[in-house]
Amino acid sequence: MEVHSRDYRARARRIIAETPEVREAVTAATRTFVDNRREAYADLDENALSRWAEGVKSHALTHLGDYLEEAEARLVERGAHVHWAETASDVHQIFELIVREHGVQKVVKAKSMLSEEVGLNPFLESCGVEVLETDLGEYIIQLLDEPPSHIVGPSIHKSLDDTRAIFHERLGTPRDASPERLAAAARELLRDAFLTAELGISGGNFLVAETGSIALIENEGNIRLSTSVPPIHVALVGIEKVLPRWADLSTFLQITAKSATGQPVGCFVSIIQGPGGSPAGEPDGPEELHVVLVDNGRTRLLADPEVWEALRCVRCGACLNICPVYRQTGGHAYGYVYSGPIGAVLAPGLVGLEETLPLPFASSACGACADVCPVRIPIPDLLHVWRQRAVERGLTSGMERSVLDLLASTGTRPGLFRWAEKVAGLLPEQVVRHLPMLREWSAGRETPRAAGRTFHELWDEGIE
Amino acid sequence: MSRDARERILSRVRDANRDREPVSHPGALPEAAEPPGPFSETGEIGDTGEAGGVGGVRGTDPVRAFESRFQAAGGEVIRLADEAAARGWLEDFASEFESVAVCRGVPGALQPALPAAPPSEASLGVSVAVGAAAQSGSLLLSSREGRRAQLLPPVHLVWVRALDVHTTLGDALQTCREDLPAVLALHSGPSKSADIGQILVTGVHGPGRIIAAILGADAVAEPPGAV
Repeated sequence: MEVHSRDYRARARRIIAETPEVREAVTAATRTFVDNRREAYADLDENALSRWAEGVKSHALTHLGDYLEEAEARLVERGAHVHWAETASDVHQIFELIVREHGVQKVVKAKSMLSEEVGLNPFLESCGVEVLETDLGEYIIQLLDEPPSHIVGPSIHKSLDDTRAIFHERLGTPRDASPERLAAAARELLRDAFLTAELGISGGNFLVAETGSIALIENEGNIRLSTSVPPIHVALVGIEKVLPRWADLSTFLQITAKSATGQPVGCFVSIIQGPGGSPAGEPDGPEELHVVLVDNGRTRLLADPEVWEALRCVRCGACLNICPVYRQTGGHAYGYVYSGPIGAVLAPGLVGLEETLPLPFASSACGACADVCPVRIPIPDLLHVWRQRAVERGLTSGMERSVLDLLASTGTRPGLFRWAEKVAGLLPEQVVRHLPMLREWSAGRETPRAAGRTFHELWDEGIE
Repeated sequence: MSRDARERILSRVRDANRDREPVSHPGALPEAAEPPGPFSETGEIGDTGEAGGVGGVRGTDPVRAFESRFQAAGGEVIRLADEAAARGWLEDFASEFESVAVCRGVPGALQPALPAAPPSEASLGVSVAVGAAAQSGSLLLSSREGRRAQLLPPVHLVWVRALDVHTTLGDALQTCREDLPAVLALHSGPSKSADIGQILVTGVHGPGRIIAAILGADAVAEPPGAV
């Protein structure tokens, strides 16, 4: 997909000013996710679980080459075709061959963030293939021609009325249709697509090396249908999705669902080992299974000694839900497929820091994201790494650099620090706000008021 | 292209890890950290002392625990003491439907006396689970049974033997490990979505009603209202 992250500030400003209902919808939805997650974890030793999960994922990543080969061997034994794609254009070429060979005209697609990352839909459409997103949220935003705004809930920025309006226009449902009526209209249209499509496309939440299994979590049943009804199934899987053992899977399924929506596990989980139908001696299911293992920047991130841990991400979206900055705008401001705190870490790693620059700064550094991560990715530390690199590479504004220099020199001269502290406390807020070194920072934030008495004064008087 | 891409990706992966300290696998999840089932939430289920606290998945009745969690997700549960009881219940239950699509493994005695229809047209689908997990409230379904009858009809009846209901999801998956079908699926409630204005709707793509009929379990005096 095209990356628009450089415009983050302008896009965020526009969303907040022009569509305040987005903030309302996103905040309400993410609060519900956060509450449900908290309840789901209430009786658990969250710390022990996340330490274990961190260990398993870090183990898998530090042995990734062997596990990828193991998964490939298991899949091939079961009759699956395994493809390797270094870039988005490799993915396109693989699809072009499959689509041509089988004369594919219609595709049903289950939600896959990786397919967004590699711009798969526009490519397939350019090949003359009709592509239908089947996840209800994805279907809504496909009708609206928008990208997803959240990893788990792609349409959380849309209200009931937004969906009513677009369904009225495109499917002819009444303007005041109930959510049930709207869902039924989508079900009817997409049911026909499931039964007539020649190809089903999915992502993959996990790839179990020991058994070559692709695991997918969902609630609607559209993933089960997309991977079961059409005669061909292609799964797009990022190379970092590996779990070493079959025995690791049950806990990862549960922590991902709990962290995402607070459910014990999704309503439907598909654990796919190979093609179905006659090659497997089964009554139905796709006779061909293709698994596309995608790099697209992941090996570059793995080679990064400071940021590689971001590859543990299971895409639960918990860090988006808790983030006070994400809640203001939803995902579209970030201009990239992965938004929120983890998006701000992954984007510079996968695409490059220059192309995604303001994202690591789109954070209040409150640390809430690190607290909810089920695989203990130190997101604030990783954001800090990117910020530091941006300054070192001279990518930030001159003002930002001089502020940091000023802080550094003041911070190492106690006398100067005390004086500055005192002066800051005496200035009225309106003046502080417009100090040249704070103007850029305070444009998107409320300026804190300096305390009446400085810490040093309190200290000298003796703190009770 | 594919062959070269494979070699290049694998060599970049190995180069990336060359100077990195390998992390060892932490082994099995400590039992104390095992996500508990519905026991500690509901209190009345398996009210044994050891069921409380953080661990608390072992030592409770898995059938009762499964029932509680499956119902919490919107599924329906009926317990039937034996095949005779099952047949009696089935006759009554089937009267609501016009046609049925039956999966391969369903024994004759457990097939409703309804006209057969293709899964895309049947009003009821019937299958047999290879197992169930109390911890997550999941039925385990094999693709060897045929997937369409599990997915296309609006209502899905699943037979499961009480002795196949495991406590943890890990235990249930482990029993399938040696002989995996093309797809092992977990069905843990009716199809649902909150993608339209965050309002919960059931029966979006998959079945909007799912009934777990547990065989060989002591029938409860009062069957769950929905069935």
